[in-house]
This record gives sequence, C-alpha cells and structure tokens, in this order.
Amino acid sequence: MHVKQDGSKYGVGISMPRRESYEKVSGSAVYTDDMVLPGMLYGAVLGSDYAHARIKSYDTKAAKALKGVKAVITAADFDMQRCGMLIKDEHPLARDKVRYIGEPVAAVAAIDMATANLAMQLIEIEYEELDAVFDAEEAMLENAPILHEERDSYDGIVASPGLHNVASYTRCQEGELDVWETCDVIVEGVYETPAQEHMYIEPCSTIADIDPMGKVTVWSSQQSVFIPRQLTAEALGIPMTKLRFITPQVGGAFGGKCGVTNQPVTVALALAANAPVKLTYTRSDDMIMNKSRHPSRIYMRTGADSSGKLIAREAKIYFNTGAYADEGPLIGSVATFFSRGPYKIKNMNVETWCVYTNRTKAGAFRGFGVPQATFAGESQIDELAEKLNMDPFDLRMKNMVATDDKWLGGQNIDHGTLPGCLKAVYEASNLRERPKQQKLDNNKWRGIGVSTSAHVSAVLSASAVVKLNEDGTITINTGAVDIGEGADTILSQMAAETLGLHPDDITYTCTDSDTSPYNYQTAGSRTTYVVGTSVTQASVQVRNQIYKHASEMLESAESDLEILPGSFVGVKGSPDARIPFSAVAGRALNQVGGPIVGMHSWLYHNTPFDKETAMIEGFALDGGGVFCFAAQVAVVDVDKDTGKVEVVEFWSAHDVGCAINPKSVEGQIFGGVVQGLGYALFEELVWIDGQISNPSMMDYKVPGMNDVPYDIHAIILETQEKTGPFGARGVGEIPLNGVAPAICNAIASATGARVRTIPATSERVLQEILKLE
Amino acid sequence: MNYVEPSSITELMNYVTTVEDYRCLAGGATLVAMMNVGLVEPELLISLHKLDELKGMRIDQNVIRIGAMTTHTAITDEDRLTGNASLVRSAAGQIAHSAVRNMGTIGGAISHADPSADFPAALTAANATIEVLGPSGRRVIQIDDFFVNYLETSLTEKEIVMAIMVPLSPADAIGHHLKFSRVDGDYATVSVSLALAMEGRICSYARIAVGSVAAVPLRLKEADDILIGSNLEESEIARASELLLKSSDPIDDVRGSSSYRKFLIPRLIRQAVLQSKKELSYT
Repeated sequence: MHVKQDGSKYGVGISMPRRESYEKVSGSAVYTDDMVLPGMLYGAVLGSDYAHARIKSYDTKAAKALKGVKAVITAADFDMQRCGMLIKDEHPLARDKVRYIGEPVAAVAAIDMATANLAMQLIEIEYEELDAVFDAEEAMLENAPILHEERDSYDGIVASPGLHNVASYTRCQEGELDVWETCDVIVEGVYETPAQEHMYIEPCSTIADIDPMGKVTVWSSQQSVFIPRQLTAEALGIPMTKLRFITPQVGGAFGGKCGVTNQPVTVALALAANAPVKLTYTRSDDMIMNKSRHPSRIYMRTGADSSGKLIAREAKIYFNTGAYADEGPLIGSVATFFSRGPYKIKNMNVETWCVYTNRTKAGAFRGFGVPQATFAGESQIDELAEKLNMDPFDLRMKNMVATDDKWLGGQNIDHGTLPGCLKAVYEASNLRERPKQQKLDNNKWRGIGVSTSAHVSAVLSASAVVKLNEDGTITINTGAVDIGEGADTILSQMAAETLGLHPDDITYTCTDSDTSPYNYQTAGSRTTYVVGTSVTQASVQVRNQIYKHASEMLESAESDLEILPGSFVGVKGSPDARIPFSAVAGRALNQVGGPIVGMHSWLYHNTPFDKETAMIEGFALDGGGVFCFAAQVAVVDVDKDTGKVEVVEFWSAHDVGCAINPKSVEGQIFGGVVQGLGYALFEELVWIDGQISNPSMMDYKVPGMNDVPYDIHAIILETQEKTGPFGARGVGEIPLNGVAPAICNAIASATGARVRTIPATSERVLQEILKLE
Repeated sequence: MNYVEPSSITELMNYVTTVEDYRCLAGGATLVAMMNVGLVEPELLISLHKLDELKGMRIDQNVIRIGAMTTHTAITDEDRLTGNASLVRSAAGQIAHSAVRNMGTIGGAISHADPSADFPAALTAANATIEVLGPSGRRVIQIDDFFVNYLETSLTEKEIVMAIMVPLSPADAIGHHLKFSRVDGDYATVSVSLALAMEGRICSYARIAVGSVAAVPLRLKEADDILIGSNLEESEIARASELLLKSSDPIDDVRGSSSYRKFLIPRLIRQAVLQSKKELSYT
C-alpha cells in the first residue's frame, strides 16, 4: 500500500473502484454491438430444424436474389474446415450433417436485420433425417445412432477412446479397488445436474471489417483475442497475418465465450460480401447456438469406517457434451480430478465419459466440471454423516486435506487453507448454536447446510509488456481480456504497487492480437495469478531500469534509492535529491540506454501426476495447480406445502492469499454465490424431443434481487501464496462450486428430504418430501 | 408498419374501422415483445396513450372505474382500492418487475387473456365488469364471460377495452392474490385470488379464482357457495378446493408439471383462505 501526496491510498490491498465502472454504469461503455461502421451489413444465422440429419442440398438462389442481400453462405460455398479447442470436430456452419436443432447451417449478410431475416426464410435446405439420441448413457449403447462417424480420425490433442459416441474418457484410480467390505458405512446414489445457461447480459456479438489489403479486423465479445483468432484461422484457412482480433468491453462471459462463438461465421460473411458485417445473436439464438454447462449424471458411492474416517469412493461420471466436444474432454478431466473433493480418501476409482448427443453443445462455464463433482461428493458427505450419526461439519473436519497432503493424483498441497475456511464459516455463522432443524410459522422449516470446495488458479501461459512513457506514466499491455471480473483494475494495481505509482498514472491497452503479448484466455481463475505474475515481473524490470538511470543521475548507489509518491525516485533520507520518472524517461529515450520496457513471459508448470501411486488414463491436461479452498454455509427455509426453498442467509469463506482489491474479491464471491444459487434452485435448459423448450429469459429464470438473500457474507482470508504475485491466488470460479450442495444439504436438514437432482425446484423438493410422508 | 396516435375516440374508431390489420398499443409490455420475435406484424400500430378517457381512476356509486391505460404501478399505488377491490391492488404489485409494471396496463393485460397472468384471475375473483367500445357502440361484459379460451376473449372484432369496473363492496371484504412462481417476477405456476368477508365467525362473502390451471381463470360458484355461510373450517375449505381441483386442467411446462400444479391448487387455496380468515379475525 502506498500513500499519494494528497493522502489517498492506492496499490495492492485497496478497494479502488473499477477503472471502467463510470462508463459501464452511465451507459457510455462501448460493447461490440454498440459499434457501427460505414457501410456495415447485418448478419443472421439460420439454424437446423433437425436434431440429426444429412444435408442433401442447399438452394440459396431466392435468398441471394432478394434486394438488399449481399451474401448468403453455407459450408458448401465456403471451404470451411473442422476446428475445436481439443478435438477438431466442428465446422462453423454445418457440413454434410447437422447434429442438433438450431445448429448453424447458413448465414446471411444484408443491409438491415429485416432483410437478413426475410432472406433466411427463403433458404431451402433438403435434409435426410436420421435417428437422434439425447441422453449420454443411451448414446453409448451399441444401437444408438452415431454422431461422428469419423471421430477416430479427427485431429486434436485428445485421442479417441474408441467407444460408441464417446468424445473422451478419463480414469483415475488410487489405492485398492476391493475395500468396500472394510467400510462400516456406505452411501450410494445417483446425482444429476442441469445444463446451466451462462446468461451473460451481452449475447455473442462480432463485427468483421476488411481493409483494402484484405486483412480482416474483428471486434468481438470474447474471452481472448488469441484462441478465437487461432480457431477462425483454422476454420477458414486464413493465415493469422490476415486476422486481427480486438476486444471492446465485454458484458459477461463466464466461460460461454471461451474458444470461438460466432467470429468465424462473421468473418466468412464479411469476406463473401466484401464489406463490414455485424452479427449479434438474439437471446434465443445465443441460448440455442452457443454452449451451456455440461449436464451430468453421476453414480457415486463413498464408504467410511465407524469413526467417520473416509475409506473409499467410486464414481462413474457421464457428461453430456452435446453435438460437439468443445472443452468437454478437459472439463471431464477436471471433474475426475476434483471428484475426491478436498478430503483424504485413500482408495479412489473414478471414471468420466464425455459423450456426444444431439443437443446444443456444452463447454466451459465458471467451475469447469468442479460444480458437478462437488454436488455429488458434498451431498454424500452429508448422507454419510447422517448414517454415522455424526455432525456433517465434524465429518468434514476429520477428513479434510491440509498443508502437504496430496491431491488426487499425487500433487502436493502447498497451502492447505481449507481448515481456516471451515473454521471461519463455523464461527461467522454461529454453527454451534444453530438448530439443525427448526419449525417456523406457516408450515415452513428452517435448515442449515455446509459444503467445502476447491479449485486451481493456474494454467497455461501469459506475458506482459510494461512501458515507461515520456511523461513518466506507465502503459501495461497483457492480452488479458477483462470480461467484467476486474482484471484491468487489479493488474493496474499490481503495476502501481510495484512502481509506487497511482493507478491513474497507469494506462492499459485494449486487447489486440496484433499488439498485445500472448495470453491464453480469461478462464480457469488464472488472470490474477498467471497474468498478474507477468505484469508484476515486467514492472519490476521497469523499476530496476529506473533505479539504474536514477543511480547515475543522482550519483547514488541503487540500494540507496527509493520510489517516492508522485512518480519520483529519490535518495533515501535526502528529500531534495530526487528526480521525476519523466526525467528518467527522457534520459533513456534521448541520451543513454534506449526506451524503458519490461517484458515477462512464462508458462505455468504444474507438478505432474504421481504415476507410482495413481493410475491415470486419458487426462486432457496433466493436472493444474495452485490449489485454493472454500467453505460455505447456507440457511434455507422450505415450505412443506409447496416445496419452495428460500435461501435466507449464506456464508462463503475463501482463502485468496492476498486480496489485491478486496471489494472486487467480494464481488466475485457474491456473483459466484448467486450464480450457484440459480444452479441449485432454478436454472435448467429443458429439451423436449431434441428442442430447447425454454430459450428465453421469460422461460429460463435466473435469480433476481428478491430471490437471493440480503445477507451473503463474503469472508476473505489471506494466507500468502508463496508463488503468487503479492501472495495472491484466483477466486473467479470457486465461489460457485459448493453452493448447490450447501443448499441441498440445508434442505435435507430442514425437511429430511434429500434432493439428488438439481435444480432443486419446488416440484422436486415437494416430490422428495412426499416420499417421506 | 405505420404508427398513429389518435387523440380522440372518434379518431381511434376511424382507424379501427378502416384498417384491416392493426394492433392497439397500450403499454407494449407483451405486444412489443411479440413484435420483436415476429409473432405479430401489424400494418398499423395504434397507440392509445393520448386518449384521456382511458386514463385514471374514479369512484362512482361504490364502483371504481379503472381506465384501460392505467399502469400496474398506478394501480399498486392506488389507496382507493379498498374492500373487495383491494384484491386488484394486491395482484398489480406482483406482476413481473417494476420496469414492466411501469409500462404494462390493465387493459392490455386482460385483452391478451393469458391465463398465467395475474390480472385475469384477480379480476375474476374481484367480480369486475369490462367496459368495451366498438363500431356499434359501448357495452359491458361481466368478467366471467370475458375470458373465452387461451389468449381469447369475448371481444368482437374491432372492439377495445375502455375501462375495468371493480366493486368496492363488500367494503368489509379483504382481497388477496396469492402468487406462486419459480422466481420473483415470473408468471405464476399457480395463483389463487380471493375476496372474503366474515360476519362474526361466519363467512359472509367469498369469491375465489385460480390462475394458471386452465385456459381461463378457474372460478366455480359452487365452490364459493360452500364457503359462504360456513365457519371456514379445514373441511369446508377442502371441499371447496376439491371442486376447483376437479375442474382444473393445468398444462405441463417449464413452470411445473400438470400434476404438481394440481398438488398446489388445494394447498394454496388453503393457505390463502386461512391467511385471510386470520387477518379478518383481527379487524
């Protein structure tokens, strides 16, 4: 923390407002759809009417002939190639076959939306309908129709497991298989989780513009400028020298805008029309054509001895990835990796199948496979506690992992911060004194539930460039897209802290694939840790160069120098011996040494799995690293007449290592809890005969202000992460992971009814209550 | 599409009678959404917002006349809606969210005749009458005759709703709209509207309507008659709800299955009646 000359505090640990908050709140922030280019056309995408069909022929003549239509494209007149982050299985527009209702098959660019929509109605496509399959386990049966006949030959980093309709298969086994007879208590159950929609406020939107040299500039609502550029280049066979990706403000993403969305189709339309094209999905198109969270069915059993020591767990996890794998194989690996939860269980056997079906694809979503596994695992901890006649909190304390315990697969837990999180929620919620079950008025019952969860906060690579400007201010450039989570602010705070500057003296660039240094994606709770490390290290380089110049200018040893408020560097203890950063910059530019630039680039290396202790098969990545932990407590009221659940209070404790911006951390916790609450109680895409029956905000409901508790208590703990920038870990995803089991455990505590299928709608809760009567 | 804003009834009727494919625009809460997704594409959009006769509320002979263009927010804030009519106020405050309530109007809501919406059931329980105007003049339709089917009213072609008349009496009645929905602001999975009065321990007035369980709001005189004259004991409430349950025909949709809605009907009626009985015993 630093103090500016006017006394205001800044730097790391300060809850400074988001740098772009005024623009967002006042409505002046520019999102992709706000942009209008001269001569810009409007794009629209035609979706398939069939869940599974062969495309026999296209007739686009009438659409092309319509006045105002400038381009009509299909995979037939654009040689689109398969692309995909892990398995190259998906064309931007369906080629040869369609695999779900609503799959993009053709696209139109016209002078206005009305003309584009009219043109779409004039496109004739002849299909030969095929049998379809919608359930993951049914799709694995031998007689199920095959979605990808050529799966075995697809390129990508995930090899085919050679199973019927299975995109990927993961297994992890530790300890012994036959230990169930040594367990005194065993619980077994089937847990189902829904296809949750990301429901970002801003639907997918892209603008593509072509310059006279044929280079396409793309503005899009996306989570990276690099991954979508790479996939667009692959899909359309265009070199990256002809593609420049830029990200304006993003109105939420949550994983839904990882990889590519509608960028390739927009680029193809612009190339076909030779004009700028904007393609913004309607809400319904976004829900039908873009991905959701993987729905899962999890068969799990867990055994313990009579003292409550966990002995064994077995799980079979089926992820329905829909028509295309997207990041499903990695998400399945992560679910396997987190299926033990943050507990010591010696004997583990977990298998995960990521299965193709004729539904809208599933992909990345805040939590990335962990919420599904955590729902099953944390439900079973409570079910075991009930059988053992133990307090569920005590059962967790007895089995939780701590520092230097091993994670599933053998990675070391360097900072075992779970005990601290559990103690924090225990005390804050006064868990000791609270009744497990309490009768209220009007046939309502109150209950309390606990959960724990974990996540990692480091994957893959990032880099940063930090430049000293002529006037002594700083420009940072990272390639990290701020999707609303606050990266622009906290990365500025890290640079400010390192250089002793006020964040107002730091500017950050818009992410641009031509000018920004590489960063993977805003995903995996990684920006604070991975990109933060690069920004901090590059800032240190700048600081060192400033010291070197200042040492010569002030004729003092570098060790005698310090950075002073107001962009000065001076000699310790000599208030008059100081020079402004601008003088250093001027000297570097014009006299000695050249421009002052710091650059840092790295790849996070996690500890590989321990192949001696664990049998590992089919993992899409070799683990991940920098574990973070959380504990959560929910108090709910359940109306036994209707089954309606109201969450009345919630505690969420997180050890973030160092809260770079505490208000921002709280914001992540509030947002994760609310999105988790929606997952627990309300949110679910519903398919009827292969068609999504609720593709609108009218029918698909997220919680509103009156559906969430006023009292969400965000508890921030700060046990320094020794490898992190300023000791920080990520917090983007973990607040969501344990919300559903905490709520369902609270429902069970209130009513005795165990809901194993979420969302725990009033109807499902009532059904379970009626079973007890 | 053309757009006009008539400022007199004569001018309005002139458009209505000369144009074939038109829609009247009230608050637009539903119509504009339908236009946005291409469900309706009228040649002419006739805005009603300059017609003074459709605005405001006034009391005449113990009946409150609510202009068709009155917004849900204005109704929620109206403290002259007392006695039997308090039911309408209770329902208005529960429709969607404030943004919708600020735009949506009572005339538009009932003309759309969505049985899941709040006003159809509430106005049925409140025993309202609807004043309508057409090329052949004005007439009044009793609420029980107004809703004909799903999204269908007894308005004849070219007729529009001018006002909704709601009796304030019984003045000692209290009205409740008990709405059960997935989340705040959603359409009701099931709603129960009732007006109830008691003399001592005897129920002197009862009128119940159930929403979202049939193509039109469900109301049975026989069910009301069971309650009137009774002590509103559990057994009497159960008999009345049983009749309503038998006449219900709820659909399966994302808000709940048909069987779940049937579960809710007697439970919500019981809750609504007992809550009202309790409140009446305090007054």
